[in-house]
Amino acid sequence: MSSALTEVRRSTVAETAVERPDRKKKPPTLRKARTFYLFVAPWVLGFIGLTVFPLGYAFWLSLTDSDGLSPRTHFVGFQNYVDIFHDPLTLSSLAKTGMFALVTVPLSILAGLLLAVMVNQPVRARGLYRALIYLPAVVPPVGAALTFRLIFDRDAGAANGILSTLGANPITWLVDPNARYVLYALVLWGCGGSMIISLAGLQDIPRELLEAAQVDGASYWQSFTRITIPLLSPVILFQVITGMIGSLQSFAPLLLSSGSLSGAGAVPQGNYLYMIHVFAQYFSASRFGYASAMLWLLFAVILLVTLLIIKVSARTVFYTVEPEGASK
Amino acid sequence: MTTTNAGLSRRRFLALGSAAAGGALAVGCSPASSTNTPAAAPGTGSAAKGTVTVMSQSGEFGPKEAKAAGQALGLTVKTVEYDLTKLTAMLASGNPPDVVRGMGATDTPYLVARQVAENLDPYFAKSTLIKADDIDPVNDLWRYDGEKQGSGPRYGFAKDYSQDCTIWFNSALYDAAKVTHPSATTPLLLDELLDEGKRLVKRQGAKVSVYGLNPNGLGLFTQLSWLTDLAGGKLTSDDLASVDFSSSEAQRALTWYLDYAKAGIGPTVLNPDPNGWDGPTFQAGRMATTLSGYWLGGLFAGDPKSAKVAGFAPAPQFDTGRRISPCFGATGLWMPKASKNKDAAWAVMEWFLAGDPAKARATGGWGIPPLKSLQKLMPQKLPYQKQAYEVQMAEQQHFSVTSSTPYVRQDAINAIITRELPKAIKGTMTAGQFADTLNSQINPQLADGKKRLR
Repeated sequence: MSSALTEVRRSTVAETAVERPDRKKKPPTLRKARTFYLFVAPWVLGFIGLTVFPLGYAFWLSLTDSDGLSPRTHFVGFQNYVDIFHDPLTLSSLAKTGMFALVTVPLSILAGLLLAVMVNQPVRARGLYRALIYLPAVVPPVGAALTFRLIFDRDAGAANGILSTLGANPITWLVDPNARYVLYALVLWGCGGSMIISLAGLQDIPRELLEAAQVDGASYWQSFTRITIPLLSPVILFQVITGMIGSLQSFAPLLLSSGSLSGAGAVPQGNYLYMIHVFAQYFSASRFGYASAMLWLLFAVILLVTLLIIKVSARTVFYTVEPEGASK
Repeated sequence: MTTTNAGLSRRRFLALGSAAAGGALAVGCSPASSTNTPAAAPGTGSAAKGTVTVMSQSGEFGPKEAKAAGQALGLTVKTVEYDLTKLTAMLASGNPPDVVRGMGATDTPYLVARQVAENLDPYFAKSTLIKADDIDPVNDLWRYDGEKQGSGPRYGFAKDYSQDCTIWFNSALYDAAKVTHPSATTPLLLDELLDEGKRLVKRQGAKVSVYGLNPNGLGLFTQLSWLTDLAGGKLTSDDLASVDFSSSEAQRALTWYLDYAKAGIGPTVLNPDPNGWDGPTFQAGRMATTLSGYWLGGLFAGDPKSAKVAGFAPAPQFDTGRRISPCFGATGLWMPKASKNKDAAWAVMEWFLAGDPAKARATGGWGIPPLKSLQKLMPQKLPYQKQAYEVQMAEQQHFSVTSSTPYVRQDAINAIITRELPKAIKGTMTAGQFADTLNSQINPQLADGKKRLR
């Protein structure tokens, strides 16, 4: 049996050796290039069709006064971009969005990290805990927002039900100024996603390092701050960048306020984030040109914020493996 | 054979990729890729053939109705769920649906001013199902002459309608609060309505368990326009290019609404009804009075508990003697100018708006039929249906057309009102300041909209 297998292997090797000279007809770099391009083609085609083309179309729209319906569209140059900087509502919504991101991103990452540390402990049924904590992250945002609206309804909600049981007055949760706290709670509700990423990072930390620190007399807190956090820093950086991008594009207040896409006007002022204003400009005010310019401005802001984070993090993020080219 | 393999350079690859994607998009967007077939199939000799795409809500004109239309008319009828974003994209690509759902009261001037709606007068002229003398006046909301609504060509037709400020009340809640039922013939005064709402509201501690009144209707701007009209004024200027919330009549309207909102007796932007609309709240016995219009009664036919307590009353009025019972919807169908199959589209519209489906709708009680001849089919079996029918028939004479502005969507105006209203309700802004704020924010939007239509 064994000798038969050996024979088969030998013959295969021999055939391969015979075929090799034919393959040499095409330079290996071209073969590699073709394979590469074939593999990336589906993504590139999707990228061109679903990203580059819409971006270009939105940019063209941003140079017009299009209302989305009328065939009478006029070229207005960069007037929409100029108007943005004279529109107090746009600027205030941008500021609110920045504040929203600054509050919710660190909170989500911190909550996710703490939960990850907890469920990384060798406790019984930790798989169950991990699943339960992660579960809200897989609930569709619309469903989560609807549930929150019901929980925090002034007259019929469970939150005020508990308060009234305790003898407290009902709170109008879904309007200013309380609505922003409900919004923060809704965002934190999905921190299971952050937990999973942090948990993967924690499990990647070599146990020997922590044991060595323990042998050297380091406390748990010292190990956590001087070994765990630095080694988790690339994971945290990833979460900061993706979290910031997600927060700057957040649409959650609309779902929380009305549950429908026609209710931008019902969003409390405290939660009137940039994307809500963009949506209102597109589909309530029918200012397609202006709204497209707003989106391009947001794109520039996100790009700047991301570059800034990467620049600032250069000295605080530690990679166990040097990034390619870093040693040059 | 030797071939020269030029390879696939990055530049060439990207160029090919772009061309392929662009081609795919161009095909997707081009009129040639329309699902519509030519207006007349070869050899049939009839124009009303081919495929018609209807954009509506599935509960109104869904696949079931499409199949029935196809069978009745010998057409292929496809449906697309109504979605403003999708409609905009379809219109922009030059491939719109052939028939679209719309609200005549608010959509007509906006669509016509943007040259997207087809003038249907030639179709009405030759219609066998819709006769001019049978058309209910509410369909004038689908007419626009370029300056005002109510005259000029017809651009659509209502599937059914309601006079949206008529009252539904829960008689059991009125009896429990020892409040006299609203008269079926004499309209309540708005101040009486407010007082009754205060007596009808039920609270559990600081929470409201039964709303006394909901006068919010289909949107605050239309409600405030109506209230201003009742007070003897006009909110929108004659050229529809500006609003004035500062007039004494508009101030009376604003003050009445703010009194209602501050009283905490019904849903407001500060305390919205979690159900989102009045139906479930009324059925649950948690709403005493609502200005919702006849159509809400359709809900009670299958709900004996609500049917037993529901009562219908005329739209209220101020003490000015003006009696106006408006329609803010007149929901129906219109045809995009760029429709590829207009004759077939009209056949579907005519069938749906005046054919068998219209008769079936008339008996359902979910609205008033748009044709006078169908109105006798409205349900009158149950006591509440009979009472509502009588009140509604008498109410029709108080309908009149109020022009909507063509320059901005009502949504945009409502968004501004809703945004500023909380300050006025909380008292951080007086009614006068509220009016000034609304004027200063809405008028530039109207001016901008007018400029863009130049």
